[in-house]
Amino acid sequence: MPGYPARRLGLSAVQALVVLVATFGMTALLPGDASSVVLTEHAAPEDVAVVRARLGLDQPLTVRFGHWISGLFTGDLGESLVTALPVAEEIGRRLAATALLAGVTLLVLLPLALLVGVASGLREGSRVDRVLTSVAVLLHAVPEFVLGLLLVAGLAVHGGLFPATAAGVDLLARPEVLVLPVTVLVARQLCDLARQIRIGVAEHSAGEVAGHLRLLGLPEHAVVLRHVLPGASAPVVQQLARTVEGLLTGAVVVESLFAVPGLGTGFVEAVQNRDIPQIQGYVLVFAGVVVLGNLAADLVAHRLTPRRELVLR
Amino acid sequence: MSRALGWVLLVVPLLVALGGPLVAGSVDPVGAPSAPPGAGHPLGTDVLGRDVLAVVLSGGLSVVGFTAAALGLAYGVGVPVGLVAAGQRRVVDEVLMRGLDLVLAFPSLLVLMVLAATGHRGAVVLVFTAAAVQVPAVVRVVRAAALAPGCRVAVEALYLQGQSWWRIHVGYVARSALGPVATDAGTRVALVLGLVASANFLGLGLPSGSVDWAVVIDRNSDALDAQPAVVLVPSALLVGLCVGANLVADSVLGRGRRTG
Repeated sequence: MPGYPARRLGLSAVQALVVLVATFGMTALLPGDASSVVLTEHAAPEDVAVVRARLGLDQPLTVRFGHWISGLFTGDLGESLVTALPVAEEIGRRLAATALLAGVTLLVLLPLALLVGVASGLREGSRVDRVLTSVAVLLHAVPEFVLGLLLVAGLAVHGGLFPATAAGVDLLARPEVLVLPVTVLVARQLCDLARQIRIGVAEHSAGEVAGHLRLLGLPEHAVVLRHVLPGASAPVVQQLARTVEGLLTGAVVVESLFAVPGLGTGFVEAVQNRDIPQIQGYVLVFAGVVVLGNLAADLVAHRLTPRRELVLR
Repeated sequence: MSRALGWVLLVVPLLVALGGPLVAGSVDPVGAPSAPPGAGHPLGTDVLGRDVLAVVLSGGLSVVGFTAAALGLAYGVGVPVGLVAAGQRRVVDEVLMRGLDLVLAFPSLLVLMVLAATGHRGAVVLVFTAAAVQVPAVVRVVRAAALAPGCRVAVEALYLQGQSWWRIHVGYVARSALGPVATDAGTRVALVLGLVASANFLGLGLPSGSVDWAVVIDRNSDALDAQPAVVLVPSALLVGLCVGANLVADSVLGRGRRTG
């Protein structure tokens, strides 16, 4: 039997294949076909034929799939049905805004989750633990758009503290527009990540190894940093993959709420316009991040717990 | 303390959602759009000139109904499939779980967006998709919970007695697996509630003239400054519903765990 990394890579390859076929098959889901998006209902049959030829819809399905796949490898995602601009360019432009949003969110989220998780995990069942856990659970329960609107109502409209929209603003020139979107994303994702860290820390801190090290007189911070946290890291890495997924979906809602010109707003716009090539591009990017993120998380978690291999065989 | 708070947070929006449509009255436009609270309209009017009180009273039923329907469907499909996966056939288990591994990878809101883009939107699509994306996770939980009880001596005894598949797996194994599955269901309520509301907020479900809380919040969010009540009241009800469901599930199931 092949080793775990090989099997895991195989799963990702099959997942990637399913994504490609499903994304291409999306055009088949359309009532009518893509030419009906470009033309009105009253278009003459000759016009329909011209548009169908331009979009390559008059060729057989297998030929179109081949063209589409070979285009993907050269970075050609087709052209938008609405603006006729290359899809790859549009997505590349928007990628920067979403990457910035996700990056800043992770920079805030990771230390905060570590702090909350370690603080509550080391004192499991104490008042600190109960308060921190309750707050995280409450924040997690509220949908992003409700939390965002409540923040806008409280801090942006009446308080005037932070801008409520990023429309037409250069994100790097005015970073304060990111405050509210990042707050919403962090609030929503904090719970799951902190909970994983808390469980791991509580378990390893109460374990025999940590107890023995404390008896040997090792200072508490060394016990926690060098032994408890590394021991708790494998499930946390896997949770991190879920977090990245959550950030992607959250970004769709948060970006359209705060008008951040990122992948999320682009995706929503493309859906509203039924701009199939654009939607296919966005789906590929989102699904690619999810598949690769899960693969990376599983492989790293596997490296962190090599004993699992022996148990599973 | 948190249990009482949870029940209050949950019951108030539930009462509004289920009882509201009976007392709401007409939601046809009655006055100027975004009028402040005044005579005849205790909460003012929304951007379409509808009475906000009537809209809020009528708009919770879809939120609660869709969530309940999606959860019912997800467990209706997920529990039997999970039991089959946990059964004797190793091949069936492998095929089912590998297949679900593939589906588990895709974020649910994205699936809804793709469906909406290809002209598949509306209440039915929303409920079925919200249910379908939960099925892999439900199957996983049911399978994991049913594996151990399915290997007990009692099951062998039931086989030797010649009991039916239904009697053994639903009557005995499923009942033993109920605890973990109920815990999972508690957390899944808030998850599905959030998904259904977010989808309606993004315009992927109900039409934009609907009185659904999430749709109303979306339509009126630009008028937050002029007419805050129309956004804040449904928002507060949604928060109560989500947080209350979470707290109640936690305290009820937590109590069950301690005693049982």
